Amino acid sequence: MSNSNLTQSQELTTHFFRNEYGKLVAVITGYLGTENIETAEDIVQEALLKATEHWEMRGIPENPKAWLYTTAKNITLNILKRKKYQREYTNTIQRPRLDETFSFSEEIIEDSQLKMMFSCCHPSIAENSQIALILKILSGLSIAEIANAFFSNEQTINKRLVRGRKQMRNVVIDLKSKNVIEERLDSVLKTIYLIFTEGYFPSHKNNVIRFDLCLESIRLVKLLTESINIKNKTDCYALLALMYFNISRFNSRVSSEGEIIDLKEQDRSKWDSQLIQSGTQYLDRITQGNTISKYSILATISANHCISMSYEKTNWTEILSLYDQLLLLEDSPIVHLNRIVAFSEVEGNKKAIEELLQLEARSDIANYYLYHFTLAELYKKCSQLKKAQQCYKQALNLASNDRDKELLQKKIKKLVLIPPSQLS
Amino acid sequence: MREFLLLIRSEEEPKASLSPEQMQQHIEKIGGYLKKLTEEGRMKSAQPLEMEGTMLSYKNGQIVDGPYNETKEIISGYYHLLAENLDEAIAIAKQDPRFEEGIWRMEVRPIKHVEGIN
Repeated sequence: MSNSNLTQSQELTTHFFRNEYGKLVAVITGYLGTENIETAEDIVQEALLKATEHWEMRGIPENPKAWLYTTAKNITLNILKRKKYQREYTNTIQRPRLDETFSFSEEIIEDSQLKMMFSCCHPSIAENSQIALILKILSGLSIAEIANAFFSNEQTINKRLVRGRKQMRNVVIDLKSKNVIEERLDSVLKTIYLIFTEGYFPSHKNNVIRFDLCLESIRLVKLLTESINIKNKTDCYALLALMYFNISRFNSRVSSEGEIIDLKEQDRSKWDSQLIQSGTQYLDRITQGNTISKYSILATISANHCISMSYEKTNWTEILSLYDQLLLLEDSPIVHLNRIVAFSEVEGNKKAIEELLQLEARSDIANYYLYHFTLAELYKKCSQLKKAQQCYKQALNLASNDRDKELLQKKIKKLVLIPPSQLS
Repeated sequence: MREFLLLIRSEEEPKASLSPEQMQQHIEKIGGYLKKLTEEGRMKSAQPLEMEGTMLSYKNGQIVDGPYNETKEIISGYYHLLAENLDEAIAIAKQDPRFEEGIWRMEVRPIKHVEGIN
């Protein structure tokens, strides 16, 4: 190393390794086939390792991307020379060939990432496997990091990945087929929104990685909006708006002591106005058209919270009517449940309790812990503490993960109630 | 100022199990540390070593391969730096952020100065 090398060393963009990992695995899988996705992951991990070894001592080269791509290509070519792959490779006719002349163009990277996203979210793959696959392959998170963000353990996450990779073997995605893209976009957005929701859950634990998860969800949807293969991007913009509005409140939801702060009590000056502005820009894009979708309604609800000066001044009537619109699109018990907070602000707590009890009578919502949680809250507001406590305990019995249980136990102890996550 | 050779030792490849994000953090931390030493004029050279290579020895009148270490430990890189004395060189070595990962060993050796040769 010459001294000047290191002083002139470049800087890497935030999450450079993670993002490039996702791009490279997507491109290389395109050449090795989804049945060899694990080999592709190993190749990229090795290329990153080589980069680490050289760059830590010699400084980051002028064009780190080109360095990484060449290294990854060479490792792939070496692997393809091995007999096993040579045989498999020549037997598959439709697959493009990777050779020395190959270069990672922006177009190939973009198409490969899109294909990978649609493959990971294929309906034949279980939802929790879809999430694990996206985060491992496209977001470049390690199994430990995913487990950490999801309050889970490495063994569980690994199982989901193994299952998911197996199911992905039979998935074929044709980007040129408009129908496939249009039909499947919804399930891709749904999976990304689940990732966002998981990251957004109010908890003082693992805050950094969960905030990252939210930003990563935004990045993934942006990849979709940048693609020429997707013609109608209204839902993508709506989801982006929703995520920006929600994430603007991320840091105001937990106190420095790690206590979760109710929407009502949050310091609204801590809400990130730049993120709110990004949300508004995306919302503007969709209100120009006139299609109404689930995400556009949810984004508008979230926007209403963001622009309100205080909890009391919130336009609950508007929010309630938005939930009513949402019910027309998706008449599900969960939407009814989420609507209740707005309903109680407009119609009063007693009526809200009645509404919930009716919902329980005509659906299976009572199996869901947040139903009892919401009911408990309303009882609390009506000063029916005994009933509130009963409902909390019922919620605790139904809660499936430690994170929720811990939250509920705190509530029972203090009997100071906070609304469910969609309002925080 | 005296010259020192710092031999970085590790078992297998400690970085292999790092996540992409951790690898980037590793580069940025160690890059920053080396950059500072370079700017202070203390770092004469720093190089990583490939995992491959061989050990040669002279046995029964000929050069043979081996013997190899019983452990998997290998020298994975070195620093050639300047310091006032051994204590200072050790102090510099201790600041290497790679120790935060806890999987590294470092040997700090003064380079022998021979009048008229180096």
